[in-house]
Order: sequence, then structure tokens, then C-alpha cells
Amino acid sequence: MVENRASAVRLGRGFWSVTLLFAVLSVLAIVFWYWTPIGIVMPVVAAQPGIQIDDLFRFMAASGSALYIFVVGYIIYFAVAFRARKGEPYDSIGVQVHDNHKLEFWWTLIPTLFVVLLSILSVRIWYGIQIAQPANGLVVEGLGHQWYYTFRYPGINGEVTGEMHLPLGQPVVLNVTSSDVIHSFWVPDIRLKADMVPGLVNTIRFTPTRLGKYPIICTEFCGTRHGWMNATIPGANGQPNPGAQFVVIDTPANFQKWYHAWQIKNAHASNALPTASTGTVSLAGGDANAGKALFAQKCSACHAIGPFSQRIVGPGLKGVLHDPSHPNLVDGDPATPADVAKILQQGYKGDIGMMPNATANGLSNKDIANLVAYLKTLK
Amino acid sequence: MSTAAVSHGGGIADHIHPEPQGFIRRYVFSIDHKIIGIQYLITGFVFLVLAGLLAEVIRTQLLHANGGFVSADTYNEVYSVHGSAMVWLVIIPLITGGFGNVIMPLQIGARDVAFPWLNMLSFWIFPVAGLMLFSSFLMGAPVAGWTEYPPMSLQAGAGTSMWAAAIFLVGVSSTLTGINFVVTMFQMRAPGMTFTRMPLFCWAQLATAPLLMIATTALAAALAALFMERQFGVPFYDPTKGGSPIMWQHMFWFYSHPAVYIMILPAFGMISEIIPTFARKPIFGYKMIAFSSMAIALAGFMVWAHHMFTSGLAPYLQLPFMILTFTIAIPTGVKIFSWVATLWGGKIHFTTSMMFAVGFLALFTLGGITGIFLAAVPFDLHVHGTYFVVAHFHYVLVGGSLMGIFAGMYFYFPKMSGRLMSEKIGKWHFWLFFIGFNGTFLPQHWLGMLGMPRRVPTYDPQFTFWNQFSSISSYVMTFAILLFFINILVSLRNGKKAGPNPWGARTLEWQIPSPPHYYNFKHIPTVYGLPYDFSQPLPYKGLEEELTDTPVAVGAH
Ligand code: HEC
Ligand code: HEM
Ligand SMILES: [Cu+2]
Ligand SMILES: [Cu+2]
Repeated sequence: MVENRASAVRLGRGFWSVTLLFAVLSVLAIVFWYWTPIGIVMPVVAAQPGIQIDDLFRFMAASGSALYIFVVGYIIYFAVAFRARKGEPYDSIGVQVHDNHKLEFWWTLIPTLFVVLLSILSVRIWYGIQIAQPANGLVVEGLGHQWYYTFRYPGINGEVTGEMHLPLGQPVVLNVTSSDVIHSFWVPDIRLKADMVPGLVNTIRFTPTRLGKYPIICTEFCGTRHGWMNATIPGANGQPNPGAQFVVIDTPANFQKWYHAWQIKNAHASNALPTASTGTVSLAGGDANAGKALFAQKCSACHAIGPFSQRIVGPGLKGVLHDPSHPNLVDGDPATPADVAKILQQGYKGDIGMMPNATANGLSNKDIANLVAYLKTLK
Repeated sequence: MSTAAVSHGGGIADHIHPEPQGFIRRYVFSIDHKIIGIQYLITGFVFLVLAGLLAEVIRTQLLHANGGFVSADTYNEVYSVHGSAMVWLVIIPLITGGFGNVIMPLQIGARDVAFPWLNMLSFWIFPVAGLMLFSSFLMGAPVAGWTEYPPMSLQAGAGTSMWAAAIFLVGVSSTLTGINFVVTMFQMRAPGMTFTRMPLFCWAQLATAPLLMIATTALAAALAALFMERQFGVPFYDPTKGGSPIMWQHMFWFYSHPAVYIMILPAFGMISEIIPTFARKPIFGYKMIAFSSMAIALAGFMVWAHHMFTSGLAPYLQLPFMILTFTIAIPTGVKIFSWVATLWGGKIHFTTSMMFAVGFLALFTLGGITGIFLAAVPFDLHVHGTYFVVAHFHYVLVGGSLMGIFAGMYFYFPKMSGRLMSEKIGKWHFWLFFIGFNGTFLPQHWLGMLGMPRRVPTYDPQFTFWNQFSSISSYVMTFAILLFFINILVSLRNGKKAGPNPWGARTLEWQIPSPPHYYNFKHIPTVYGLPYDFSQPLPYKGLEEELTDTPVAVGAH
């Protein structure tokens, strides 16, 4: 039944010449992907499994390009060589081949072998990333929050905020989780990411190999400010983006300095996970100037100094203690300094969204007093 | 010729019902598969316009590194509804309910699908669900993307519950369509239409239908749980109450990976019809193409966790998912090679439909290759959640499924309407679309690898150039789609009369008038062979009266 006349027909003018051309182009593509600095498509590599990941990428890009050149090359060549000429009657037909078992055998076998090869390569690199990391690593915990990261180090009380420092050359075991929704911890220069899932601990392991300061980026949608949980994003009006956090790879000596500074700073911090503190805050001696600075740092990502209706995440706070048309706060309490302090202390989740509590915002009682003093000045 | 082995549904297929009278019964609550298919196409294209406008809001926001076109919250709603609508209200309905309904029963020589009333129900659920999805904008639309991972989707506004209900309903509609198609293809093939003679578009629908039936149920369960948790506090996913957010991901992807094959297999089917027709030669490797569709559909159920390599899959579990995903490349590759080989030695006529089909080959192949990249765990740990993934799935979904839909529209429009679409507008449509598409999505590969995460309304200013390049190209692409709609409207009124078989195609639907009569065939034909042998006489008997004026005996057996 199979009408196999393929061998009886000429392959087409120039078939072998274009095949040669595709082979040459493929070799060029392979050379390109192996010789080009990786920097044109990826950031610098700052940690150990990064190089192997780049190698895998080079292999896939090279073989993928070669395959693509052949597929698209033949498409274009056939489209030109076998186009119906002008004036050719529509009922003239092409070569009536149905299949060619030899050809089909080869074009099944070659991709299969390729898949085997790719599997071997990938499994080996996977093994290096997931399993064969040195055991004596520095264990750091990363915690995702809406919308920032905190870290815990062995021997430092409480949480480390802002930058995450790591010593050059020492293996790191980073365990991550979240205090609210799913976030992700990605450092493009390290090439690894792990989702921070509440109730679950995920681990990535690597060894820093290059000094420097590398942006952390969240790649799992986590709410309004997700896009700013990314250290490459500048803040508004030339301010730094309050969500910008970096991994800093230090020399071991500098790392020790940083580490001791946090040990001292957090000497009395609690190791409990953040919860809202209770007890009334004394507002005596609040300093509006200190409050203003604090506001720019901790609140301006969510609040504008504008009318109530001007939202970023939370409402605008201009006149929050003075506006007669808003006698009550969002939680229904009257707009008095004591009640504003309570909102700052305990947070509030209402129709507009989530106002974080003082622990999440990193506010001491003194900070609250200063902020309230500042909010009073907004008329 | 042994035809006795093939059942053709006994009386159902032979019995000609009188055509219903009245506009409502004929065109609104119709039970005719062709009208229902066209209703799917029209509704799907309306949603394509709406979801496309949302896409342009996204790209306009991204013209500048700090956004500024819409607020962050609005932006999140916009891309979430865009993605959900494109998947569930555009591609899936167009390619299954739309083309499947119009073409499949004609190709197997049936008078309708097995359950015409169920078919009407499937269709009417769809616009209702679509309106529900878009109405979520009125109550705070979902924000967590089309994947709606909890706990984020538990926190978001009331629209997320509406989203869950809407998607649940389109799921019901898909499931019913799947059942209908399977039964139709098993029970209602014309005599002699054995499975090994069935056109490849039907094979593709046969591979797709079980996915619609089985995978969609997993999604329905996941959505019902999400809805109950949001509305009644039943703790399925919230970890603080003992739920598991990862469970959602498993159930969602257990559906959504097969769903990508729901979206692509029927396009494969149309390509397998279009390429041989315009190359004027048999499809290369009929059996391998049919078999690989089934292999892909089956394997498609075993790779879902390749979407979860960073979410907390036990490391050793990553390996089988990685390797099985690589393996899918083999049947996919075989298909692509077979299509390319079909071009070889042809007498290729570059109609607009053929141009889209060939464009499909080029773009889908690239998307398949980047799919392999993503399946490699070490590389995925870098690019998961970035624009690289966005580029990948637009190459397969737009470069693949949507290009397939365009190819199919230019091909089947004459069958549906009796008129040809304008080739002149069509060529403009193709080139602008092809260029605009590549300009939009090619740069997103390197944006992702360099560090641009997805689902963000703002980005690193150093990426401004390529984002602007992408946005401007997307306007070109949108303009091309506008040309497509203009073409449809213009051609409906002024298109050249097509006649029964303008392309000289050989499957059954082309042997009857365009548009076909209500009852499709005056007499159910008998089939003697594959439809792709251009050098042979047509392998059908009993079609002699189809193109004549002989009246048909309504109600007769
Ligand atoms: C993550 C975003 C976010 C941050 C950071 C934030 N807030 Fe809020 N804030 C909100 C939201 C959202 C509300 C409204 C809650 C609701 O009603 O749903 C709010 C409400 C308030 C209110 C009540 C407003 C009214 O008119 O009732 C005050 C006062 C306030 N925040 C002050 C602050 C101060 C001071 C800071 C800085 C320490 C701050 N917020 C930081 C999101 C935030
Ligand atoms: C050879 C074939 C393919 C392979 C190997 C493949 C592989 C993958 C992998 C591994 C991912 C996960 C990437 C990540 O999130 O990190 C992915 C994502 C995706 N793929 Fe494919 N894919 C293929 C074909 C397709 C097809 C045909 C479609 C649709 C028509 C498709 C649609 C998608 C979509 C929509 C996503 C993104 C899901 C999301 O996160 O929102 N893929 N693909
Ligand atoms: Cu995030
Ligand atoms: Cu998948």
C-alpha cells in the first residue's frame, strides 16, 4: 500500500548545497553560544552552581539553535524550491510520497539520543545543585513578607533586616519560607531561586564566588507591591526603593564585622516570629522631624501625603488627625492620636488592604510616638 | 472492502430531521453543530478583542520603566483577566468548541454530533461564564494571574470568587464538549471511515477530548475548593488553618499542563489538513502524526510538576518530571519533521492559510525548543517566574495555537460562509502579525534571563529599550488582528463566491456545498481510503447527489 517513490525522485535542485549551508550556520551558532561571553544574556555569575547552569544553557542554546536552523532552513528552502510556479494549473500535484521508514527511523532516533544526552547532563548538574553540596554550610533562614525579606542567622537574635551578607567561599544553606503569601527568593547572579511558601521550608544551596552586591528579586506574585520587591527598581522621586534588598558577598573579615554588628544590635531582640505587640504606647515626647524621616523610609511605599482618596496601597494620610469629613479611622475608631498609635502598633486589615503591624514595619514604641507627632503636623 | 465493521449510529445518522424554522431556533438556540461551532467562533473572537485590549493595557504600562499608565492594582487585575480570558474564553473554545464543532462531524460523514442538545448547553454556558469573568472587574478582579495561587488568591478582592465560578462553568462546558466529541467519533463515523482513515484533524480532536473530560475535572475540584475556602472559610489551602497551598498547585497544573495540549493539538490537526492541501501531496507519515497526538496527550498527564520545580517539590521528584517532559519533545519533533517533509516535493500554493500554517511551524518550533530549556531543572531554577516563561508560552500559544486558528479561519471560512476571505488583506494580516509577534515576544527571552520577573508593573530602567521595542511591536500585532476582523466583515459581504471546494481539498466536508445543508449529507457516504492521495480518485461513494438539486427526503430512513 505504501507508495514509496522517494528515492526515484530528485531531492530538488540545491538540496545538498543548502544542507551544507545549514550545517555551516549551525556550527557558527554553536561556536557563538560557546564562545560568547555569557554576560550578554545573563548577569555575572556570583556563586558556585551558576557556572554549571550556564554550561547547561550553552549546551541547550547551541543544540537548539542548530536544530532550529535546520528546521526553519528546510522550511524556507522547500517553500522556495517547491512553490507552485505562475500559471501552473492547480490540479498539478506534488510528489506522492506517504512516508519513508528510514527517514522516520532516523528522525526519531536522533532526538531520542539527544534527549538521553540532555537528561544525563541535566541530572548531573541537578545532582550538583540539589544533592552534592558540602554539608558544613552556613545555615541562613530567609523569610518573605509583604513586601520585604528578613533573615535569621545562627547566633544573631531576632531578625536581620535590609541586606543579607554572606562570606565569600563558604557554602550557604538557605532555608526559605513565608509569613504570609507565597514569595520567591531569586538572585539572578546566583542563578537560583526558591519559592517562599507559608508552612513549607524550601532550600537552596550555593557557594558565593564573587564579591559584590546583588539584587534580590521576588518572582512569585505577592500583592500590590510585588513589582517593587526587587532591588533593581528605583524608588519614586529619586528616593531609593524601600523594597530594595541585596545579597552582599563580603570577604570573610568584613562578613565577621557585619555579623558582630548585628549580634550587638539584636542582643535583646526576641527570637519569636513577628506578632503584634500589645500595651499602650506613650506618645509623650514624639519628635515630628524624626517621624518625617521614618515615614519616608517605612510608610511612603504605601501612603501618599495627600487626601484620603489618593491611594497607593493604603489611603492618603494628609489631615488624618484633622479632617472633619473623616472623623473615624478605617478601623472605625475615632481619629485621635491614641487610636492612630493603636493602628500603627497592631496593624489593621480592612476593605482597603493590609496595614502591617509595628513588628512587621520594624517600629519601636518610640518610632510610633515620632510618627504620630509627624502625622499631627499634616493638616 | 470491509465496511461492516464500522458502526454509524444506526438510525440516528440516517434520519433527516426537518430543519427548524424561525430565527431563534435556527441561529440562537440552535442544535446544528455548524451553527453552534460558528457561535463559538464569534463569541471567542469577541473575547479575543476584549482580552487583546487588556494586553495592550499591559504593554502600554510597560512602555516606561516606572509604569504610570494604570495603578499597580489595576495592572494586576488586567493581566490576570487577560491571561484567564485568553486561555479559557479564547483559545480553548475557539479550537475545540469552534473548529471542532464545525468541522469534525462533517469530516467523519455524520449529520451532527451525538448529543445536539448537550452541545447547545455546552455553548450557552460559555458566554455566560465569559461575562461573569469580565464582570469581576466590577468587584475587584482577581490579581494573582491566571494561576491564582493561594494564599494570595484567598486574600484578593471578591472578584476572585467570581473568577473561580466562571472558570468552573467554562470547565463544565469543556467537559460536556469532550464527552460529546468522543461519543460522536466512536459512534457516528460514516461506513468505511475506520480510525486509520480518519482525517488528522479528527485524530487531533480525538486526542483532545479525553483531556477535556479528565483534566478539567481536576480543575473543577480545585476551583470548588478555592470558592468554598473564600466564601465559607473551609480550610483547603490556607496553611495557618492546616491547609496546603501546594495542593492547589498540583491540582491546577494537573489540569493546566494537559490544557496546553487542549490548546495545541487541534491546531496541529488543522495544520495537518492545510499543509497537504496546499502542497498538493499526501501528508507525510499519517500514522506517526495520528499516533504522536495520542502519545502527547497521554504523556501530557505525567509532566505537570515541571511548573513546580521551585515551589517545593522533593528534589528527587524533580527528575522524573524533568525527563518525562524532555521525552514529549520526541513525538512533537516527529510531527514537525513530518510537516516539513510534507512540504518537500510539493507544488506549494501560498494562500494566506498556507502562510499561517508555515508560520506556525517556524514559531511553534521555537516555543517547543524553549520548553525543553524550561524542563531542565537547573536552568528553570534561574528563569522560572520570569519573562523567559512569558516568551515561551506566547510562542506556543500565539505563535502556535492562535496562528493555527488564523490558518484554520482562512481555510474553513469559505466552508462556513460560502465566500472566500480576501487574500490581499490576508497577506497584510500575516506579515504584520508575524513581524509584530516576533518583535513583541522574542526580546522577552533575554529580558527574563537578564532578570526581569513576570507580573510586574515596573522594571529595571536598563530594560527600557527592549520593553519599548516589545510594546511597539505589540501595537503592530494588534493592528494585524484588526485587519483580520475587517477581512472577515468585508468578505462576508463582498467575498468571492467559494463554491464547494475552493482549495481542491479531499476530506469529506469539501465534497458538499458551502455552506453545507442543515443535514450535511443527503446520503451518508461510504469511505474507501485515506483522504490524502492526490493522485487517486476520491475514496468516497454515495456523494453523487450532494452537489445536485435533487430534493432530500426529510424524515425518511
Ligand atoms: C504595606 C503597605 C503599608 C505600609 C508600609 C503602611 N501602611 Fe498604613 N495602611 C495601609 C493600608 C492598606 C491601610 C488601610 C487599611 C484598611 O482600612 O483596609 C492603612 C491605614 C493606615 C492608617 C489609617 C488611615 C485612616 O485614615 O484611617 C494610618 C494612620 C496609617 N496606615 C499609617 C501608616 C504609617 C505611619 C506607616 C509607616 C510606619 C504605614 N501606615 C505603613 C498600608 C500600609
Ligand atoms: C515541547 C513542548 C513543551 C515543553 C517541553 C514545555 C515545557 C514547559 C515548562 C517546563 C514550563 C514551566 C516553566 C516555568 O514555569 O518555569 C512551561 C510553561 C508554560 N507552557 Fe510549555 N512546554 C511545551 C509546550 C507548550 C505548549 C504547546 C503550550 C500551549 C499551547 C505551552 C504553554 C505553556 C504555558 C501557558 C506555560 C506557563 C504557565 C504559567 O506559569 O503561567 N507549552 N512549558
Ligand atoms: Cu512577590
Ligand atoms: Cu506544562
